[in-house]
Amino acid sequence: MAMNPMEQFEVKPFLIEHPLFNIGGHPIYFTNQAFFMVVVVLAASLFLTLTVSKGRLIPTRGQSLAEISYEFVGSMIQSTMGHDGLKYFPFIFTIFMFVLFSNFFGLIPYTFTITSQIAVTFALSCLVIGVMIFVGLRKRGLHFFSLFVPQAPWYLLILLVPIEVISFLTRPISLSVRLFANMLAGHTLLAVFASFVVLLGAAGGVMSVVSVAPFILIVAIFALEMLVAGLQAYVFAILTCIYLNEAIHLHDTH
Amino acid sequence: MSPSEPDDLKRLGERIDAAGRKFAGPDQDAAPTPIGIAFRLGTELVSAVIVGTGLGLGIDWAFQHWAHIQTRPVGLVVMFVLGSLAGIRNVYRTSQQISAKAAPKEK
Repeated sequence: MAMNPMEQFEVKPFLIEHPLFNIGGHPIYFTNQAFFMVVVVLAASLFLTLTVSKGRLIPTRGQSLAEISYEFVGSMIQSTMGHDGLKYFPFIFTIFMFVLFSNFFGLIPYTFTITSQIAVTFALSCLVIGVMIFVGLRKRGLHFFSLFVPQAPWYLLILLVPIEVISFLTRPISLSVRLFANMLAGHTLLAVFASFVVLLGAAGGVMSVVSVAPFILIVAIFALEMLVAGLQAYVFAILTCIYLNEAIHLHDTH
Repeated sequence: MSPSEPDDLKRLGERIDAAGRKFAGPDQDAAPTPIGIAFRLGTELVSAVIVGTGLGLGIDWAFQHWAHIQTRPVGLVVMFVLGSLAGIRNVYRTSQQISAKAAPKEK
């Protein structure tokens, strides 16, 4: 019986079997990953535009969901970056909604979890760090590099500056690994327990009765995964805020 | 606009406030779960060591490849140590952030 819990993370061509085009001899396919990225972006955009298009004073359920997510991100930015952080609202809100929708779409059976791919999360976190460096350089010029220079005597700086540089370089990695590992672990766990249900159920006799236990566990883990999906989107967004805040305010807040 | 609307709105606002008080659950900046903290600190430490080791290997390779100087394993050793220190620095900073966030709740 083929029940590999990692099979669900396999990236493979989807709908269109032949490569779309070639880049330097490498065939580029339209994969299941690409398909679900399109789905997620369309779903998030449609959800946000359709629910608020009426603009009712007394909101419907959908509209209040959209408004809550808007206010949630808004207050998150205000609390971490202050009022002048609201300039970056579109960027952070886009990232938050993308990650949130990817995580929740992955929980629907037969879908593909795009945030369970390190390539996706690493690209996202590189974008975040790239924006942070760009904003920092534009706002502060070369003074931005004082981020790597803590207040210390000069002979300690020889040691501290490389440490700070490495510590900075770990950010895209820890940011992406956190999201990726959470999604990967949760979905693998679900698949493993699901295979227990099938195996025990097929064994017959007492085993079939026991197979109820992993089934109940799946329900519980699924609830936990709903929490993780929201929480990880929140963590990703708030770390984006914290990093951008450091780029704007440098040593002001410590 | 009907003249009664502000009144309606006021009543709606009161109802929303009452419902909000009734269903006041854990708010958005509640303290993170212990496993969340553990996982966060773990990734901070490990990723710094990985970056340090990678940079060390890269430096050794670059010296060998372009300058033809055999530095291996000096670069690896130095950068591994620096990476580990950066990891500890990361963990220290992250735990400070977490406790700074939790502190206002304790008083």
